[in-house]
Amino acid sequence: MNPILNDQELLALFKDPATKEQAFTGILKKYQEKLYWHIRRMVISHDDTDDILQNMFIKVWKSLDNFREDSQLYTWLYRIATNESLTFLNQQKKRGTVSLSDDENGLSNKLRSDTQFDANKLEWKLQLGIQSLPEKQKLVFNLRYYDEMPYEEMSRVLDTSEGALKASYHHAAKKIEEFILNH
Amino acid sequence: MESKSEILNKLKTISPLLASIDKKNVFKTPDGYFEILDKRITANVLLNDLKTSRTQEVPEGYFELLTSKIISKIKNMDSGEEIQDISPVLFSLRDKGTFAVPPGYFENLSSSVFKKIDNGKAKVISIHGSKKWWRYAAAAAVAFLVIIGSLEFFNNKKATDDNTKMASVSANLPDYIKLSFQYETPEQFENGIASLNDTDIIAYLEQHGNVLDDEQINNGIDVDELPDAVDYLLNDNTLNDFLKMTNAQAKKE
Repeated sequence: MNPILNDQELLALFKDPATKEQAFTGILKKYQEKLYWHIRRMVISHDDTDDILQNMFIKVWKSLDNFREDSQLYTWLYRIATNESLTFLNQQKKRGTVSLSDDENGLSNKLRSDTQFDANKLEWKLQLGIQSLPEKQKLVFNLRYYDEMPYEEMSRVLDTSEGALKASYHHAAKKIEEFILNH
Repeated sequence: MESKSEILNKLKTISPLLASIDKKNVFKTPDGYFEILDKRITANVLLNDLKTSRTQEVPEGYFELLTSKIISKIKNMDSGEEIQDISPVLFSLRDKGTFAVPPGYFENLSSSVFKKIDNGKAKVISIHGSKKWWRYAAAAAVAFLVIIGSLEFFNNKKATDDNTKMASVSANLPDYIKLSFQYETPEQFENGIASLNDTDIIAYLEQHGNVLDDEQINNGIDVDELPDAVDYLLNDNTLNDFLKMTNAQAKKE
């Protein structure tokens, strides 16, 4: 199967039982990396990301037949990935597996525990600055800064108005800049 | 739709510093992770599909309430429900009685018991009890007669011819031994003994009471075979006195 089929074609093939599995593989190959990094930037750990990604695609398999196609497929996939990531982080908070230090989830500690971590390098400071943001603001920044997602699509993913998203992105960028300058 | 350059230019207006930072990826992945990721996810999805399709759905909160439901049921269960749960077959047989009871038995039970208690206040020497004793004594006496007779019969049979009439009876033999000679074969006197009933024995003994005396009875009867005293409500002295009295009456007759 040609992996570069558009979303409509993939959805049509998915609805046919004979080609369902093939279509699903096509969707996986097309979006797996983007979704992986979107989750990874939220939860930091590779293993946690892998778990969330697996669970996410089980849900996709079960509910793709009911996808109404009133939004783009990738928007719908991003929405599921975002919800799964936020659910995971909330569960970690409740279990107390994440220490509550300088940020809500203690994810900055996970960054610092990375073997490659170098506090003097700008890219690591950027990450620490992103982790200092509240979860929703972090999402907005990541989707805009890394995924270059239009506000129109972002509003469907996060179920937030475009204006609020613009304002949130503005504040996020300012905070990170201040963090970098101060650390 | 905004282009990448438009997005970057807008960031420059907000934070030139951020816009200048090279978007290096600080996160690492295991070697070859993405090459096999689609296969891993597909396998996991299909396994999950298989697992969920085989299991029946359970109502929400079922397992959380299950323990308390079971405990509550055990506490409130009566024996009928219990056996019905364990074995419906045994439960269906519960009311099928196998032992019959005479009509009105339980209604009359208490009054008959009280009657017996009242009757027990005066000592009664039961004829049936002594009759019972006599039955043992008579049977033993008859058996004794038969044995002696048969010994004589078989001894004489060897000496004489095959005609089995008992001819050579010693004049010294008591009457009760002579009586046994009516049986010509062992089968006949075995059948004869078996055919005896209580009435016959008592009648015989009454007619031929002289063949029996206390000493013979005592010698011919094993004390251990006698019924227990409690069976006829008599003590030993009372029994002996009664026997002597009865024997004396028979002799007079």
